[in-house]
Amino acid sequence: MHQAVVDPLLPPNLSSDSVSRRSAPEKGRFGDLRGLQWRINLGVLPSSVSATIDDLRRVTADCRRRYASLRRRLLVEAPIPKNGRNSPTLEMDNPLSQNPDSTWSRFFRNAELERLVDQDLSRLYPEHGSYFQTPGCQGMLRRILLLWCLKHPDCGYRQGMHELLAPFLYVLQVDLERLSEVRKLYEDHFTDRFDGLLCQENDLTYSFDFRKSPDMMEDEIGSHGNASKANSLDELEPEIQSIVLLSDAYGAEGELGIVLSEKFMEHDAYCMFDALMKGANGSVAMADFFSTSPVPGSHTGLPPVIEASMALYHLLSLADSSLHSHLLDLEVEPQYFYLRWLRVLFGREFSLDKLLVIWDEIFASDNSKVESSADENIDYGFRILHSPRGAFISAIAVAMLLHLRSSLLATENPTTCLQRLLNFPENVTIEKLLQKAKTLQDLALSIDISSPSLLLVGSHYQSKTTSTRAVSLPSESVSPKTPLNFIPDSYWEEKWRVAQKAEDRKQDGVENQVPTRKKGWTEKMKLRLRRTESDPPPSRVLSGQRGSKPSFRRSLLEDLRKALGAEENTEHEQHHDDILSEQDNLSEAVEVEQQESSCNSDNNSDDNCPSGNSGHEEESSIYSDSASPPNEANDHEIASEKNSAASFLSLDECNEALDTSPIDSPLPLSDPPENIPPTSVCNNNDQGNNQGNETSDTSTSVSPSPISDPSHNLPQTSGCNNDDEGSSATQPKDGKQNKFQWFWKFGRNTVEAISEKVGGGAAEATKSANIISNQSNSPPPASPAANGHCSSVSGRGDSVDQNVMGTLKNIGQSMLDHIQVIESVFQQDRGQGASSENLSKNVLVGKGQVTAMQALKELRKISNLLSEM
Amino acid sequence: MVLVLALGDLHVPHRAADLPAKFKSMLVPGKIQHIICTGNLCIKEVHDYLKTLCPDLHITRGEYDEETKYPETKTLTIGQFKLGLCRGHQVVPWGDLDSLAMLQRQLDVDILVTGHTHQFTAYKHEGGVVINPGSATGAYSSITYDVNPSFVLMDIDGLRVVVYVYELIDGEVKVDKIDFKKTSSNSSAH
Repeated sequence: MHQAVVDPLLPPNLSSDSVSRRSAPEKGRFGDLRGLQWRINLGVLPSSVSATIDDLRRVTADCRRRYASLRRRLLVEAPIPKNGRNSPTLEMDNPLSQNPDSTWSRFFRNAELERLVDQDLSRLYPEHGSYFQTPGCQGMLRRILLLWCLKHPDCGYRQGMHELLAPFLYVLQVDLERLSEVRKLYEDHFTDRFDGLLCQENDLTYSFDFRKSPDMMEDEIGSHGNASKANSLDELEPEIQSIVLLSDAYGAEGELGIVLSEKFMEHDAYCMFDALMKGANGSVAMADFFSTSPVPGSHTGLPPVIEASMALYHLLSLADSSLHSHLLDLEVEPQYFYLRWLRVLFGREFSLDKLLVIWDEIFASDNSKVESSADENIDYGFRILHSPRGAFISAIAVAMLLHLRSSLLATENPTTCLQRLLNFPENVTIEKLLQKAKTLQDLALSIDISSPSLLLVGSHYQSKTTSTRAVSLPSESVSPKTPLNFIPDSYWEEKWRVAQKAEDRKQDGVENQVPTRKKGWTEKMKLRLRRTESDPPPSRVLSGQRGSKPSFRRSLLEDLRKALGAEENTEHEQHHDDILSEQDNLSEAVEVEQQESSCNSDNNSDDNCPSGNSGHEEESSIYSDSASPPNEANDHEIASEKNSAASFLSLDECNEALDTSPIDSPLPLSDPPENIPPTSVCNNNDQGNNQGNETSDTSTSVSPSPISDPSHNLPQTSGCNNDDEGSSATQPKDGKQNKFQWFWKFGRNTVEAISEKVGGGAAEATKSANIISNQSNSPPPASPAANGHCSSVSGRGDSVDQNVMGTLKNIGQSMLDHIQVIESVFQQDRGQGASSENLSKNVLVGKGQVTAMQALKELRKISNLLSEM
Repeated sequence: MVLVLALGDLHVPHRAADLPAKFKSMLVPGKIQHIICTGNLCIKEVHDYLKTLCPDLHITRGEYDEETKYPETKTLTIGQFKLGLCRGHQVVPWGDLDSLAMLQRQLDVDILVTGHTHQFTAYKHEGGVVINPGSATGAYSSITYDVNPSFVLMDIDGLRVVVYVYELIDGEVKVDKIDFKKTSSNSSAH
């Protein structure tokens, strides 16, 4: 049975490529002896090329001695009562003893553990039952597991460990088969080539035979000398020579040092298992993945499996962001399937022969921690990605995901998705998978090593979760509920691409809203002029046509403003403008919304602004609530996240990394709209047509003088500048602001920052810098723009229509409020004008008032209509 | 290796409220494979409690037992040993070794467990053992008034049985141990 499974996996002709193997000794010094190679790769045996076979033998013997002593110490048979009555230990050592140190309680504990282990072992590899279900094999497996668990009581036995162990025993067995095969081969060679040395040959073959039954050794020791054997060995091929040396009972450490020994299979398997579980000073220790408590060195404070799952999704997002976002949309959390993959190192997904090939590669990857250039104090992102082996494990998982890509993307609900993930197809070509995994591994490593930014992002995530947890609990933010929903930056780029069309269509709306209310009117006008000069956008023309009515209205209102000259009113009016344009946008935005519903839901879970986005219900509540809670939450968060400009710089680097990486990702990340690198800072003026540039806007606006070019900074944020007015606003306006705010909550940070700078508050300047960096560091670099228009439409998923209706109603209400305010001002003015001013002016004012009143009436109609909807 | 708990004469609730707390804390499920009880539990609740310790429960009928279905004597084989169980009030004089040995021969057992005297005794007799585990609750009897609660745990392993005696003296559990080896040839010789 072994032969059947083993043979295809082994190099077909071991003697022919032994030379080439010699030339590259590191690759496969004992290439055809998988068990031996694994022992070297796992760190059980010395890996250095200079280690002689004698060294190997010594280390082997040491390992075996350790295991033997462990076994002697820990495996308790049923306690044998000593003779002699009233022995002093009897109080402690009796079957009912409560003392945990008594032999009896140890015995009971072991028995319990043994039962647990047996439950799993009896079901181990039923398809290879002829080997694994034999009593001898089961006994070995049971003892090894038992001993390991007893040695590591903090870890204990967990289901899956047996499946990590079983392949080790298997490959050791295979090695032994190979050894006996070589013996036969060697026999043939010998008789063929060395005719003259027949007597020695007989001697040697004989010695091989007796080595198979070592109990006869004592009798034979004197019968032949080592010298004669050495003579002939020198002339043998090095491969066979090494095998012979490895199994020589007379080498270093004698019989205990026979590297390939059937007698010590159990010892060797234990050593391999132990090395794998503890990682042998490397960074990937399988035992971590069985524990639920975070590793002491972990920065995220999450269980290692969860951390590894996050790393997996992170890598996936870099490799294939659409698949990643699809899985996120379905809320398929990585640990649902990755737990199973990881704990048994894919043992459940592949048949044993394929698994061995995969493990070959996994173990061949170095497990040592990669020393990154960043100094030790910096928090690292994902521990699993720090070593080539860990990265490779993640890479295999990603490659598996990519293998399933199309079928996963076709799924519409998480259940079928998980079904497909957990029933990995068997007919996968393992070579392709591994090849892909290797490129992905390079990607993972290059990211992890080359750009410390990613580490920062990771740690940023960590700080973010903690901060949101700390701050936003009352607002039931999503983060505590799904703390694992870490979405790397690239995810948002993907979202942007999806949202691109929508943004294009909405662009005119944005243009309309551009003017900045928070500045003085004249300044605003200037800006507007400048914008129209420098940027006579087609979209603006479009909006002009489309929104002819509003523009007409605006002209009317401008008359009014002239007449009144009241700054406050102009601001009001501006709001009206915005609202009108908003209305215009709404209808088409609804369609947009349907495309974007998924995007929205993701926004929800991952946004920086914890209270404003945790679900539609909440949003509507915010809508009617005062704006202060989200503000506070935001401020808190800002305060808690001391992100300096440095961290922002790292983000840029990250972007670069993203741009360089996509070569092997199915969806190239280097699409035109995503040309985010720093160069795009200057493109801001034609932001009307490039969403990607907007991203870079938000991210790069952190530069020391963010307002140096208001025309490009302001446009995206214009809608949300309510905050600044807040101080001077009258009561109804306040309400309006609050309602308005939810439209723009994502962009508000930026605006705040800018406005504060304009205001010239020196103390606030630093804070605003913080705000900006905070914002730009938050998962979505695109948040202001993309989210802005996502949320402006407010509808989510299926409830789009309802939402829109609600929105319209609310807009109508707020319009009514404003109209009332304006009217009241009118009343006052009229009264004053009538009493104190001369007639002609009076008439003039009256004329303006009449038109204004007409306009107001129309507004009223509209708002009534709206609120009745 | 089989652990057999032997106890009896609990007399709950007439003469004692419950097992001593120290005993209760020692008697945990999962360790004991069989329980043999000589009788006088006396109520069903005690029976249920013993069942929670180990489902394999063997009881003979005592004169105060509510349950009337318990047999007068019972024999069972555990490992290489044949165990006999009897309440003991039928054997007169009470607690007399010769009379008990007669019963042992009658039942053809290696180990005879009886009760009624509320005094722990254990004799090696004629290649067998005669054990009285005493009263597990320390209930008084018609012969004795000052009774230490005690019970017996037998570790039967192959041809060897180790009898652990647990006795509560002045609030402390004392453990004693009696080794008994059966020679395979004379098994249950008369």
